[in-house]
Amino acid sequence: MFVYLVRKLIGTIPTVFGVALIVFILFNMVGGDPTYQMLGKHATAQQIAELRHELGFDQPKYLQFLQFLKQIVTFDFGRSYATKQQISTMILDGITPSLTLTIPAFFFTTLISVLIGLLVAYFRGRIVDKLTVVLCVFGMSVPVLAYILFSQYFLAYKFGLFPIAGYDPEWPDRLVYVALPILISVLVSVGYDVRFYRTAILEETGQDYVRTARAKGLSEPRTYLKHVLKNSMVPILTNLVMEIPLLVLGAFLLESFFGIPGLGGITINAVHNSDFPVIKAMSVFMSLLYILGNLLTDITYTLVDPRVSFK
Amino acid sequence: MHLFTRFGVSAMLAVSFMISGCTPRNKGDTGNTFQTYQPSKVKGLDPIYADDLYSGTEVGRVYEGLLQYHYLKRPFVLVPNLAEAMPELSADGRSYTFKLKKGVLFQDDASFKETQGKGREMTAEDVVYSFKRLADPKLVSTGWWIFEGKIEGLDEWRDSAKAGAPDYSKPVSGLQAVDRYTIKITLKTRSAQFLYALAMPFTSVVAREAVEHYGKEFLNHPVGTGPFRIAEYDRNSRLVWVRNPTYRTELYPSDGEAGDKEAGLLEDAGKPLPLVDRVVVQIFEESQPQWLSFLSGRLDATGIPKDNYGEAIGGNKDLTPDLVKKGIRLYKNPGIDVAHTTFNMKDPLLGKNKLLRQALSIAYDVKPYIELFFNGRAIPAEGPIPPGVSGYDPDFKNPYREHNLAKAKELLAKAGYPDGKGLPPLEYVTTSNSTSRQATEFLQKTFAAVGVQLKVTTYSWPEFQAAVKSARGQLWSFAWNADYPDAENFLQLFYSKNASPGPNDSNYSNPEFDKLYEKSLTLLDGPERTELYRQMARMVAEDCPWIFELHRSIFSLVQPWLKNYKRHAFEHNTAKYLRVDPALKK
Repeated sequence: MFVYLVRKLIGTIPTVFGVALIVFILFNMVGGDPTYQMLGKHATAQQIAELRHELGFDQPKYLQFLQFLKQIVTFDFGRSYATKQQISTMILDGITPSLTLTIPAFFFTTLISVLIGLLVAYFRGRIVDKLTVVLCVFGMSVPVLAYILFSQYFLAYKFGLFPIAGYDPEWPDRLVYVALPILISVLVSVGYDVRFYRTAILEETGQDYVRTARAKGLSEPRTYLKHVLKNSMVPILTNLVMEIPLLVLGAFLLESFFGIPGLGGITINAVHNSDFPVIKAMSVFMSLLYILGNLLTDITYTLVDPRVSFK
Repeated sequence: MHLFTRFGVSAMLAVSFMISGCTPRNKGDTGNTFQTYQPSKVKGLDPIYADDLYSGTEVGRVYEGLLQYHYLKRPFVLVPNLAEAMPELSADGRSYTFKLKKGVLFQDDASFKETQGKGREMTAEDVVYSFKRLADPKLVSTGWWIFEGKIEGLDEWRDSAKAGAPDYSKPVSGLQAVDRYTIKITLKTRSAQFLYALAMPFTSVVAREAVEHYGKEFLNHPVGTGPFRIAEYDRNSRLVWVRNPTYRTELYPSDGEAGDKEAGLLEDAGKPLPLVDRVVVQIFEESQPQWLSFLSGRLDATGIPKDNYGEAIGGNKDLTPDLVKKGIRLYKNPGIDVAHTTFNMKDPLLGKNKLLRQALSIAYDVKPYIELFFNGRAIPAEGPIPPGVSGYDPDFKNPYREHNLAKAKELLAKAGYPDGKGLPPLEYVTTSNSTSRQATEFLQKTFAAVGVQLKVTTYSWPEFQAAVKSARGQLWSFAWNADYPDAENFLQLFYSKNASPGPNDSNYSNPEFDKLYEKSLTLLDGPERTELYRQMARMVAEDCPWIFELHRSIFSLVQPWLKNYKRHAFEHNTAKYLRVDPALKK
């Protein structure tokens, strides 16, 4: 396993290099000029030229790219152009609010979706199944913005069940503020996940070993929980683990409407402000998380499927 | 299975409702709290970077400059802040001598090691240090422009600092701490606008110990002389300010403009400031939570989001009965700004054809635009200078701003393009957000009425800025908010030496205009200068480097318990005058 992991980690180097190259090219093509943002509306040509020199924008592109690679290796991206804040601090400050929102949402979505998936697979073709599928399609079709506007207006403002917006870094107060965004996040995601898990589970219910289990006289709940669920875990895990990097990135719209100071807002603001150091840091950070997510998927396969090994 | 499913759903809902049932703690809230918001994340709290309204407002709560604006008087007038009185002006009009208030303390902070954390007295040396810091090239301040080319010796100090480490001990001839409480500022030439710079957040006085102690993190550790000090700081979510216990005695003004007394704005005259114990600032990047928070009493004052205009304002442009019943008050104030569509004067087609620009200007119908995009909250602009600023001419009617299609067609024909024939589509550059897209469609429709087509190029905001600064495209739309209440701030947008990437993004160049502009810079406020301003405004109205569109009106809603509210377009430190009536708030 160790050799496998080392081999996999070495394999990530070209991937990160590729990401860095694409980000660098894209930024230089369509990213605008950060010096205009940094110097404000009264900047003169001389000040702009001086700042460009100071930031190294007048250096050859390959040198600028090498500098970027150095930042990746040292994981030191410096300070934000727009806010002058230390980027590592910005990321660390943003991760916790994002995760406070996304981890419970992820947990509840998964729990509910898998349970409903099992249930509708069990009732395949019957009214419960059909109704669930219709509801899932309906749930997926409603834009997330509609959920947010509706819930914030009725559940928070009209009925006073939740705070309208805001955030408190202290525990357990912060849960008060993320409760409604979590609920919305679950509602938004559950439709897609139920359909996905239903399909994965149905693939297994037609297998021979299920027929054997029934022939042995196992009860239906036991057959589903002990055999079908376990064998459906490969696609389920793939889906779950690939969602992990997205948890860190947060949910921009929810963060924005509910005033949660997560990484989603930081990233969008960076794009809006042509804040290249933050864009670079977030791109590399996210790609590393994706790579880590893939690695984690491979490892978990071996836990749920004995046929998979680290060869 | 049913059991499992039910358990999952109920568990989630139970947890949601359980935690939502808890009341968020209002730590330290005595009830005497001003609840406000910012529509954008706060960049930081270092005065030298406070170039946007939001950072400027937050910086203004903790830092102070030599001067400030009178809270109540209109037209806007400067009064002393850290200065004891308005400065003495030398006979040649170049030197200002300020006497500082004695006993003004910086807030207690760990950076004051010599006094074991007790804030020391602010002195003239602090003013000199703060001004040099604004000029420090290594710090890349966004406010350097207010001093650039103005103070004797400061540009040279800045140039010498570019080569190596800035030497703050090196004297600057135009910045002298004459004694502990006296500072003399000498300008290169007379400037009528200079004093306004001393009321802007950029020139706030900072303590050298705090700057050096916190280094690059100084922007997150404000240590000023102001009425509030920071208690909670999350620049992305919430800021909480509390009364500064070592704040000097400063009193609520005893006079204002006509009508202030009747409006109850002088009830607290002579009382020590600040009147509230805390200021809680929530960041609302979306308008719905801002609006709902106001309706539920969690915000004391708000603007009216475009989407909620119908809920707030009725057909007669007054408050709706629902809001009147709640005791909410509506304030309408002119915005000191101008929105415009810019012609790129470097473009060989538009730049050289004045008749074409005049035709397009006269074809543009701003009235439906104001209704559609501003809910009627704007007035048509006749020129670059908005009302409320000296130099504004209420009697001037721009001959190229009356909407007249027949005249527009006539001018277009004279320009060589009858009914737009022979004129290639003009390249209009804009941003990619939905409002810009809608505004672009409006513009396309407007010009199509005289046979002129637009080719639209959309960019992200940074790309759009780069396009404008490098004069790509033939026309684009923008707005300018005043930095200070002087028409010069608008007229500099046509001065040829400010051409792109400077603020003159139309790249208008007219030697006659430049001559008048340069002359106006040497004059103090008076009839001669006002006449020059008006001449320049008429000149650009005739030359049409812009289509002058509108000046916005700002509508604000205020809760019944918030007292002493009077919107100020320039003063950043207004929270200290506000009072909350706890009885009404209950």
